[in-house]
Amino acid sequence: MSEILLAVGHAVMTCLLAGALALSILLTMQSVYTLYIMLYTWDRPEAFQQSKAPSRFLPPHKSFTVLLPARHEEEVIQMTIERVVRANYPLSLLEVMVICSADDSGTIAKAQQKVAQLRRKGVTNVNVAAFKNKPINKPHGLNVGLRHTHNEVVTIFDAEDDIHPDIFNVINTVLLNEPVAVVQGGVQLMNYQSKWYSVLNVLEYFFWFKSRLHYHARLGMTPLGGNTVFFTREVLDRVSGWDEHDLTEDADIGIRISLLGERMRVIYDDRYVTREETPPTLGQFIKQRTRWSQGFLQTLLKGEWKGLPRLGQRLLAVYTLGFPAMQAVLGFYILISLVMMFTVRTPVLLAITLDLPFYLLAAHFILNVIGLYEFTTAHGLKPTWKTPLVMALGYLPYQWVLAYASVRATLRQVRGINNWEKTQHIGAHRQGRAVPQAAGEQETRELEATSSSS
Amino acid sequence: MHAFQDEKLSVPSPKGVGQNGRGPQQPAPNVSASQTVLARALLLGSLLTGAISHGYHLFLYPLYITDEGIYMERAWSVLREGALSPYTYYYDHAPAGWLTIVGWVVLLPHQLEAFGNAINTGRVLMLLVHLASVYLLFQATRRLSGGLTAAVVACFFFNLSPLAVYYQRQVLLDNLMVFWVLLSLYLASSDDRRILTPLFSGLALGVGVLTKENAIFFMPVIGYLLYSKVRPRGNYRFALTFWLFGAFSIISLYFLFAVLKNELLPAGLSFNLNAPPAEHVSLLYTIWQQLHRSQGGILDPHSLFWTFSLDAWLPKDTFLLAGGAGATLFNFFVGLRDRKRHQGEFIISLLALSYILYLVRGSVMLEFYVVPLVPFLAMNIGLVVKRLLLPGTRQMEWLRGMARTAILAGFFAVLLLPMGGYVLVHDQFGKVVPHDLYKLPLTSLQEQQLAFIRQHIPPGAHVIMDDDLWLQLHDVAPVYPWAHSHWNASGDPAVRDKIFGRDWHNIDYIVMSNKMLIAMQQNNPDGGENYILEALQNAKPIWQLTRGDVNLAIYQVQK
Repeated sequence: MSEILLAVGHAVMTCLLAGALALSILLTMQSVYTLYIMLYTWDRPEAFQQSKAPSRFLPPHKSFTVLLPARHEEEVIQMTIERVVRANYPLSLLEVMVICSADDSGTIAKAQQKVAQLRRKGVTNVNVAAFKNKPINKPHGLNVGLRHTHNEVVTIFDAEDDIHPDIFNVINTVLLNEPVAVVQGGVQLMNYQSKWYSVLNVLEYFFWFKSRLHYHARLGMTPLGGNTVFFTREVLDRVSGWDEHDLTEDADIGIRISLLGERMRVIYDDRYVTREETPPTLGQFIKQRTRWSQGFLQTLLKGEWKGLPRLGQRLLAVYTLGFPAMQAVLGFYILISLVMMFTVRTPVLLAITLDLPFYLLAAHFILNVIGLYEFTTAHGLKPTWKTPLVMALGYLPYQWVLAYASVRATLRQVRGINNWEKTQHIGAHRQGRAVPQAAGEQETRELEATSSSS
Repeated sequence: MHAFQDEKLSVPSPKGVGQNGRGPQQPAPNVSASQTVLARALLLGSLLTGAISHGYHLFLYPLYITDEGIYMERAWSVLREGALSPYTYYYDHAPAGWLTIVGWVVLLPHQLEAFGNAINTGRVLMLLVHLASVYLLFQATRRLSGGLTAAVVACFFFNLSPLAVYYQRQVLLDNLMVFWVLLSLYLASSDDRRILTPLFSGLALGVGVLTKENAIFFMPVIGYLLYSKVRPRGNYRFALTFWLFGAFSIISLYFLFAVLKNELLPAGLSFNLNAPPAEHVSLLYTIWQQLHRSQGGILDPHSLFWTFSLDAWLPKDTFLLAGGAGATLFNFFVGLRDRKRHQGEFIISLLALSYILYLVRGSVMLEFYVVPLVPFLAMNIGLVVKRLLLPGTRQMEWLRGMARTAILAGFFAVLLLPMGGYVLVHDQFGKVVPHDLYKLPLTSLQEQQLAFIRQHIPPGAHVIMDDDLWLQLHDVAPVYPWAHSHWNASGDPAVRDKIFGRDWHNIDYIVMSNKMLIAMQQNNPDGGENYILEALQNAKPIWQLTRGDVNLAIYQVQK
């Protein structure tokens, strides 16, 4: 009897080790690939060159519609409007639409107050739109805004965004020079020292916008970002706007535009990035990450990516949209590995293979530390010696938080919970920063400040 | 009013972005088509020369030596037993070298015996590795010198120096290590501005260190080369860090292996060199022991450095060693005076100097330790020749090109003819004959010895021998399971105590390879060889063969 039990135990152990080995090899391959696409722009000189903004601007020609979807953004909405209208671009070529749900009286009031204030200064191209019907979420607001505006190029800024005054000149020049339907500008979280997780969150954005998106654009499968993205109105009409039931409507619309075969241009120039803040609390961070993970899962399950023409594009779509699930596996793999390391005895070669993901984990951590110095140098910041230490201590917990958010997203999806968990903004990225002034004197602007509702 | 005075407005770069030359570099100027053709032809010529000089007579000269046998038997152990050594592996060398040999052998139809015997199979790999090294040497020298002359000269010496050919034909970890170091150097000297290239350079160097640990002496110089290359680029932080990561992650596998085997630290944390821990082997203890070994440095006239230099290396090729050392010093001072203008000279001289430093510092040395120095001495000579052949202005370029070619051809001819002794020599009768490398069939003597063993010694006999025969007696039927190397029979408790019981009566035959007796006498500080030497005193020769200074014998122990 004991021999049978021993044999069964041996067989179970063999299966477990075989599974761990297969998982280890898969995770190693996945980590190597992720590492490569995180480094893509730095590794490819031509991609590095292409990521930069034009060094000379063409005269303003394109007209822009700026959509500012906002919900409970009383704290920051006025400054955001101010930054948009103070941009170095003729006001006659700009229209700004703040979009809120009708129940968000606080944000509407603040926006209207700002509109009135601007009107007194002679700025008339800012409107506020409110919508009453469901769902109350960003893509719904964007679709409302799209219907009530008319300019040639449509862009989105979030309520907490700090945009660069020359961003419209950058995009105008790119659109005049290149036949592209979409330009994704860089977005960068800035408050890297606010919380223990802030620096890693900031670096995720840094690598995503500075490197990964360029790789996606080259392959023609680009999950776009949620703001500082510029569409021709024509392409938005062709895809019928945003999917109001997708929690990551930005990634979704990117994939749908990729299906059309439209070229997209990604620009991450440290000078012109849109500045944002990390979520103020861990709870908020988990909610935001849960939404992203669930949105990616929804987009994956919708299956529109299957229409991408090339196998490489489809694989990249599956990889990208399935990445949160991979993060969950990785988080738990680390935990299980740590336990196994001290409890299970395996043949040496097997043990070395099982350790490979840890080497890649170390490589990712090193990449992040260098990224920290790249990021701070580019933005004229100076990290203290504590920052890498905080990163080292927080690195694994951060992976576990991501894994937890991913599991939470999966459970929400299974249970059919699809509400938009709003991320709170407190303007941490704006502390000590004044509204950037236009380089030259502002052009005389048409005056119009109205409110409307739909 | 925002002013758009011109068609385009210039935008100033912010601080830290694209300044100080850190922005993308300009593409390299186009190399003319005729230059490309010439470069390819010269590279092909170098490869062919290397293939002929190393391939011809490969299996016949030089004699199979102990270390060749050791690395092949370890490869056999990996292949057949799934272990790093058929005996106790005590971390004397990192295993990447024989793992590479395994990788080669598994590709072959008859595996270890694909080319007659295991050492021949290893030597064919050495030939291929040499050709790959020629390619890398050519390209790295070309990059660092900025021209073809130095590359051609470097490859000439690397291919034809008798010192080089003699050791490069042998199955040595040093030859494999040279390949990895050259690969690392080639990648580090690249101008492709990528991050993967430095990463691969670091990985190659890491494998080089795991092939033969003394590759670590090249690490600072290759690191310096890489730093000077990538520092002006925007991605320099990634490039340098991932180079280091690549190298150390590979090297760390060796330590990880020891940790997993519970053999990193010595038992009881005892690093006492007078009382080695007996419970188990230890990586750190072996490293500690190796760091404290000394057989006299350059200041000791009786040191192995001088013994090998005067007795083994200089007689094989005085020009390469003396000329290379002089060229190294010359390039070093030229580079030191103006590191920006003469960076190639500086780097190449530092590569040679760093290894010379290793050789002269006075650790344990074996005859073939000169191998990693050869390519870097050759590169230094190449740079000096290039400098001597390119004086003056760019006027009359074609004439100077022809003159340069003629001088270079004359220089090579002098070395190839009996005057230089690289390929042709005068024999004792004054007749012009090929160098021993290309005419003397030495290994056939060892084959005769092996044939005698197979005919006259029963497979069950307890035999003491050298490692060069080990695989023939363990991998080819009939197998001699009790045939062991005197190195293991004297040093490995599992063989010395359990198989032979330190009693000469347990030895039936002693198969003496060339100079084995000297090795036994020198390898006997703890008396481990005493019982074998005692057996030898009680043995009578049953087969002997002497040719020149090669002496082979087989003794039967009289009990």
